[in-house]
Amino acid sequence: MNSNSNNSNNQKKRNFQIEAFKHKVVVDPKYPEKTWKILEHAIQEIYNHNASGLSFEELYRNAYNMVLHKFGEKLYTGLVSSMTYHLKEMSKSIETAQGGLFLEELNRKWIDHNKALQMIRDILMYMDRTFIPGNHKTPVHELGLNLWRDNIVHSSKVQTRLLNTLLELILRERTGEVINRGLMRNIIKMLMDLGPLVYQEDFEKPFLEVSADFYRVESQKFIECCDCGDYLKKAERRLNEEIERVSHYLDGKSEAKITSVVEKEMIANHMLRLVHMENSGLVNMLLDDKYEDLGRMYNLFRRVPNGLSTIRDVMTSHLRDTGKQLVTDLERVKDPVEFVQCLLNERDKYDKVISLAFNIDKTFQNALNSSFEFFINLNPRSPEFISLFVDDKLRKGLKGVSEEDVEIVLDKVMMLFRYLHEKDVFEKYYKQHLAKRLLSGKTVSDDAERSLIVKLKTECGYQFTSKLEGMFTDMKTSQDTMQGFYTNHGAELGDSPTLVVQVLTTGSWPTQPTVTCNLPAEMSALCEKFRSYYLGTHTGRRLSWQTNMGTADLKATFGKGQKHELNVSTYQMCVLMLFNNADRLSYKEIEQATEIPSSDLKRCLQSLACVKGKNVLRKEPMSKDIGEEDAFFVNEKFTSKFYKVKIGTVVAQKESEPEKQETRQRVEEDRKPQIEAAIVRIMKSRRVLDHNNIITEVTKQLQSRFLANPGEIKKRIESLIERDFLERDNADRRLYRYLA
Amino acid sequence: MLVILVLLYSPEGIEALCSAVGVDHTDVRMLMLAWKMNAEKQGYFTQDEWHIGLKALRVDTIGKLKKRLSNLKEEVMKPENFENFYLYAFRYCLTEEKQKSIDIESICILLDLVLGSQFRPQVDTFTEYLKIQNEYKVINMDQWTNFFRFCKEISFPDLENYDTTEAWSLVLDNYVEWMKEKAKLAAA
Repeated sequence: MNSNSNNSNNQKKRNFQIEAFKHKVVVDPKYPEKTWKILEHAIQEIYNHNASGLSFEELYRNAYNMVLHKFGEKLYTGLVSSMTYHLKEMSKSIETAQGGLFLEELNRKWIDHNKALQMIRDILMYMDRTFIPGNHKTPVHELGLNLWRDNIVHSSKVQTRLLNTLLELILRERTGEVINRGLMRNIIKMLMDLGPLVYQEDFEKPFLEVSADFYRVESQKFIECCDCGDYLKKAERRLNEEIERVSHYLDGKSEAKITSVVEKEMIANHMLRLVHMENSGLVNMLLDDKYEDLGRMYNLFRRVPNGLSTIRDVMTSHLRDTGKQLVTDLERVKDPVEFVQCLLNERDKYDKVISLAFNIDKTFQNALNSSFEFFINLNPRSPEFISLFVDDKLRKGLKGVSEEDVEIVLDKVMMLFRYLHEKDVFEKYYKQHLAKRLLSGKTVSDDAERSLIVKLKTECGYQFTSKLEGMFTDMKTSQDTMQGFYTNHGAELGDSPTLVVQVLTTGSWPTQPTVTCNLPAEMSALCEKFRSYYLGTHTGRRLSWQTNMGTADLKATFGKGQKHELNVSTYQMCVLMLFNNADRLSYKEIEQATEIPSSDLKRCLQSLACVKGKNVLRKEPMSKDIGEEDAFFVNEKFTSKFYKVKIGTVVAQKESEPEKQETRQRVEEDRKPQIEAAIVRIMKSRRVLDHNNIITEVTKQLQSRFLANPGEIKKRIESLIERDFLERDNADRRLYRYLA
Repeated sequence: MLVILVLLYSPEGIEALCSAVGVDHTDVRMLMLAWKMNAEKQGYFTQDEWHIGLKALRVDTIGKLKKRLSNLKEEVMKPENFENFYLYAFRYCLTEEKQKSIDIESICILLDLVLGSQFRPQVDTFTEYLKIQNEYKVINMDQWTNFFRFCKEISFPDLENYDTTEAWSLVLDNYVEWMKEKAKLAAA
């Protein structure tokens, strides 16, 4: 079609009057019909691919004139019937297409129609802009689409066939065949162009239904024959396929809908079965550290409602069960260090799972923490064991380990500490063990010790660690004191044994019963010198020698001249030194001379006479136990391949049953004033408070140290009532009032 | 009247009075009389107490006193008076200065005397419990008050509405637990 411009210059040159362009006055009644026929013919030519011979300008003008002369209605009606006719012709050829050519033909015709429609619209633009809006008619382009829809897509012979063809192709693609995606895209785009309603009703809805059926069947098949990991792989693959399908030839809005179908059929419907699958389910994956499978499960399950909570719940209950078994395993509790190491290993394992597979999900971390808190406290010896673990590490475990690694171990210990309900029990043991470490000089690193104290302080506050710090201070001060002592008195001491004293402030160290024994003469003189030196510089203090602690290094020469240096406890020293002045001593003589309490003395003699490799004394009779009638001699035949022989240990050990009871009792006694202090504190500020609230508040205040028992709190309240700190309200017996 | 007055300032006097009115001196009515008289010390009536008390009772002869004693019980049992009487009974038994609690044995007798008629099953079981437990050697005013409240509010013997998390005295918590254990053993 070519465009000419045409000007009409029919103007009479009169008075420079420019008259409005006058249209030809139409008189011919056949005008509209004739004009329409021209246009109708043009439309036909367009649909017959013969548009090149047409003149756009002429056609436009004709259409324009028709509208101008009020024949828009005729034009419009004609357009409709003409287009309809041509579409029906197209429909026939589409319907007769065979097999695979059906879609191709449909596509071809659609393209043709669109081209035609555009041209027609251009020709009829004047009508589109003026007549149509004014008369509430459908614009040409839209009309063209609607007619296509009604005559082709919704024609009885095409509609069903089209849908079935599309679905068939998708099914084939799902079963592995390659299909013509370009063609699919065009056809789907055609449906989309016809409006969202057409796309949804004629394609999307049935597509989703069919897909649901497909995946329902497939998932049932898979779940019968696959293990969990494989099933999840398949599900993931299908999901990705569908997403890819949408991106290639469906409407983007369908992605969310089809993925939720897959999620529902393949995942949501089988969630529990998958998680609990024997030999391959969640628990097995956790046990075998199958990070990839776990990660896949997490990513798939997060798409469905309750997916993650299902995983979390199963993980939690499994963790609680294994944890419970761990802490109540009778074999394991025999070795506290191993016990704690297992706990740490378990925690590391799950930490790894959560970071590698579960997206560092906070809710999972919380579940991990709450599970640990649950089972750690099932064993009442956990606080003691954790302290023993720390003791072991600080004695030897961390030897040669870099500073950063030390911090890592300590931080892990702190993590376990946080789970404890009875932190005050831990404190008691920790203090005992620390005292032993400090006094025996057996700590691997002072920095590590201090670092842990700082961590405990940050966690529990100043009070928790002030006494512990006091212990460190005492050690340092003692060093300075010793220096001062030797500086001042070094000269006169000359040949005396070298004395190293640790002066301990009573309040800071674990309470010990004060027991004294008789020190050998060489020692007692020296000790007195020290005492007067110390009290000279620190008036108003009292010193008492703790002879149940302390060590001594003795140089000994035996029968055949073998020389050894013996490292012994104070008690052992007292006993051995007696043999400088006697060859034979009876039990009673030793007891009398040393005044060591009998149970300690028996243990002391046993360690000197009955232990292989350390038997510097000989006993008659040679029985294992110490009897009050026994006699003791130096073992002249004593040998050891080492020059330095260590006898007597001060290592912290797991408490015996009676010791444990005693510690527990002391802890309980210590708790009473703490509970009372908390009650008084709360009542002082609140003045009046009801029973339940007091219990809650007190428990909360004491939480950082131990879990207060409501019965115990009640008892303390009653005690405070009796002592007139509190009273019950007369009217409401549930209320307590603070008595100033 | 005057003659009797002189004798009354002593436990022997009280005994004489008791025999005169025909009431045993361990009878609860004597306690009620003491309450009415607002007597401070067990076994004694002061002169003032006697005067004021008699006036309150509106008696001036032994005969009238005797009669008054019988409907005194009615008066005491009225809900508005009983709690007052109950608390008085405890205070009355405190013999020493600054004494705050009463030993278990005396408590059991007192409970029987004061609450026995009204709450026989509770009193019997509670006193039984008190005798066999050994955590508490004495009972204080607070616990005494609590027990009365217990009798009034808690359904017996099922104890269904008892809640240990409420502000009941610990001794009652223990008593309830003991009762429930007994019931379980009995059912088994």
